[in-house]
Amino acid sequence: MTTAKIDRRYLLMMAIGLFILLVILYPLWQVFFRSFVDAGVFSLKSYRKVFSYPSYYRALFNSLWVSAATGALCMLLGTLLAFLVVRTDLPLKKTLRSLLVLPYALPSFFAAIAWIQLLGPQGYLARIFFHFSGWDTAPWNIYSAGGIVFVLTVHYFILVFITVAGALERMDASLEEAARGSGANTFQIMSKITLPLVLPAILAGGLLAFIGALANFGIPALLGMRARFFVLTTSIYYALAIPDFGLATALSSMLVLVALVSMAFQFGIQKGESKYTVISGKAVHPSELKLRAIKYPLFFGTTLLVFFISIIPIFSMFLTALFHYWGAPLAAANLTLGNFVYILKLEAGRRAIVNSILLAALAATITMFVGVVVSYMHVKAKLTGSRMLDFFATIPYAVPHTVMAIAMILAWAKPPLSLYGTLWIILAAYLAIYLPFAVRTTHATLQQVHDSLEEAARVSGAKLFPRLRDIILPLARPGMIAGWILVFMPALRELTVSILLYTHRTETIGVVVYNMQDAGYREIAAALASIVMVLLIVGNVVIRKLTGGVTGF
Amino acid sequence: MKKFLRQLKLTLIVAGGVIALNAAVVFAQAKSASEVLLYTSVPQALATQFADAFMKKRPDIKVEIYRAGSTEVGAKLAAEREVGGIRADLLWLADAPVYYDLRRRGELLAYISPEAKSIPADLKDGKGFFTAGRLINMIIAVNTQVMPVKDAPKSWKEFPDLGKRAVMGNPLYSGSNFVTVAAFVKRDGNWGWFERARAKGVAIVRGNSEAADALAGKEFGIAMTLDYIIAGLIKKGAPLAIVWPADGAISVPSPVAIIKGTKNPNGSKAFVDFVLSREGQEFLVKQEVIPVRGDVPPPKGQPSASKIKFLPIPYEWAAENAADIREKFEKTMLH
Repeated sequence: MTTAKIDRRYLLMMAIGLFILLVILYPLWQVFFRSFVDAGVFSLKSYRKVFSYPSYYRALFNSLWVSAATGALCMLLGTLLAFLVVRTDLPLKKTLRSLLVLPYALPSFFAAIAWIQLLGPQGYLARIFFHFSGWDTAPWNIYSAGGIVFVLTVHYFILVFITVAGALERMDASLEEAARGSGANTFQIMSKITLPLVLPAILAGGLLAFIGALANFGIPALLGMRARFFVLTTSIYYALAIPDFGLATALSSMLVLVALVSMAFQFGIQKGESKYTVISGKAVHPSELKLRAIKYPLFFGTTLLVFFISIIPIFSMFLTALFHYWGAPLAAANLTLGNFVYILKLEAGRRAIVNSILLAALAATITMFVGVVVSYMHVKAKLTGSRMLDFFATIPYAVPHTVMAIAMILAWAKPPLSLYGTLWIILAAYLAIYLPFAVRTTHATLQQVHDSLEEAARVSGAKLFPRLRDIILPLARPGMIAGWILVFMPALRELTVSILLYTHRTETIGVVVYNMQDAGYREIAAALASIVMVLLIVGNVVIRKLTGGVTGF
Repeated sequence: MKKFLRQLKLTLIVAGGVIALNAAVVFAQAKSASEVLLYTSVPQALATQFADAFMKKRPDIKVEIYRAGSTEVGAKLAAEREVGGIRADLLWLADAPVYYDLRRRGELLAYISPEAKSIPADLKDGKGFFTAGRLINMIIAVNTQVMPVKDAPKSWKEFPDLGKRAVMGNPLYSGSNFVTVAAFVKRDGNWGWFERARAKGVAIVRGNSEAADALAGKEFGIAMTLDYIIAGLIKKGAPLAIVWPADGAISVPSPVAIIKGTKNPNGSKAFVDFVLSREGQEFLVKQEVIPVRGDVPPPKGQPSASKIKFLPIPYEWAAENAADIREKFEKTMLH
């Protein structure tokens, strides 16, 4: 009986391994391989180029510091907000929580556009500022490295927020109670008990934000060009435009290297995992911290922040969707609903909405299941090789999506098995790029489930699948649903991969928004993005209903 | 948990259903009688309307459109070449030198449309590999609320002097900007214009639409961008004006061509005929695009082609040196 049990776990692991091989490793190998090929023969020419042009050095350095600054700011902002929303008696915290997650639904290039509309040299806020100050230039500049870090932080802090909020929710409050009983004050409890307990979640989220910023293209592309501030992803894009495929793949390989180093670092942090185990069977719901005198000042501060980072950009997007043209004076005569009518009448627009929902739902569902198995193998079963599997599954997060798209073409567009021109090649790319989200979120969740629960089931004779179904999945469920949303939302408006892999009939929402923006129909692009926002809000309500209000954002 | 699994099952069934439906639709469409696939950089709305007008005339042919910026289409063509051939039946891009490259590779189908006789010789390939389908002109645009037209530069030569108040698109993104860079460099024999622009701080944005948008948004006083985009914004009420540069606008012919491997040569030829026809060109004129036919009057307010001075475009040279030109631009202007 024992042998059968072990076999089954390895069988499952091999299936997942095959999946990772086909969707991640083989395509990336194709890219890596190409970076050493010039005119059909082995060559180091591309790497020589990277190391002899100072501009590429600078791009590497810029990528590193911008991502590090973003990661740090995200950890600060995300943890603080998660704590306020989950553990205190802040008024309206459920609403605030939903609103905080909203900006993540904007495509990152669209978030950049929304912020340009607000903070740009002639943005809405700049115009208000001119009106009151009498100046004619704003004292801030969105087209700068600082502007990039700011927009990246607003875009990615949610990764820290969601993982930390999840960890705080599932925390065993008895540890805090014990400390309180021993006479510790609130500050001591927070710094000595709560913070260390959620530290893996903070770091996991911070790492996601760091690598997300590292691989982001839309934000530095839109904000960096006027400042002539380049990062690796924008350099890769221009290398593809030249076109210098060798240079692009060599730069990509370097980007992947940076991310691998930072991931190895995170793996190091997570040694001694049981220290962080916080769900061990009889969990008590954590108590709410009374904010007392600072309740309303904090409420005011949080509301202001939410207003600034969530409401205003989305409002500016909706407003833009109503204009005849961008930059028109704000007057009733310049407003119209025509942009919405137009996009819904457009066959490609309607098709894009259907395609994106389908792709995002499939990608989220498949990656969450693969993710939970990978995490289970690594965190719980601790099988030989599972650590490697976990590591491989996380690699695509560091790969610029442009490169992932090219990898898919190199790997899966050639006859005999050609997925080119179908939704499936886009799905394969989505699976690769979103698997790391799934693995990392389920990872943090499973780490908090104490081994004793599964051990008990195993000792009682439960086999692998019943154990997964009855112990692991139910306990990991809130984390899995949160992870599902974390994949679904970005997948719904994914652009970079889709733009290179789509053909007629396989358009996605991101593609149509981008095409409209690109063609100068900023208002029509804004209209479709607004529709996506509405879809997400409706979807969120549905998910909340389905899960009985436990999750959703 | 059971509830959760039940919901999951339901989700999977629904998803499966949608996939099956989608597959059925794709299958059904793939079987439809006569279909042509067009890769184009013509703006989505215009391309769609144009295709609709064609399909109204020829209901037996269905035009499918893949629309992207010139660089993306270029990347797509390169990718498809890697994996067994270009899938498109028709190309209609702004990056004219690309057609010289395609012709050299033997990837274009020669077709002399009966309509082509009304089109000037310098706007078509002698063997019929490609023919200009529209003319888009790189001009100087002015935001009159930022700068009166009389203060605006009258020529490309003066353009860089405006420094931070001037904006232009990126040839590493846009085909028409690439053609413009090639024309300047070939004319001057050096990169001096760009070195001066870089030193004075002329801003680079992604493409012509963004340059026009930023200009309309008063972020800049002048822009190097395309005439029809500006004309469209003026029609919508934006305070912009067009200056035809004294040293010559760059008239970018946006050629239409048929891919050799097309499975529907007759449908593709019919589309090319429509693009070049009087009716097709009149349709484009309504969208502020300058026609390629001498017998179709240009859009209102636009000078006719014979009255404008144009800079010669070194197509062959640009096609042969495309990568070098882009790389040199990146080094000069972007770093």
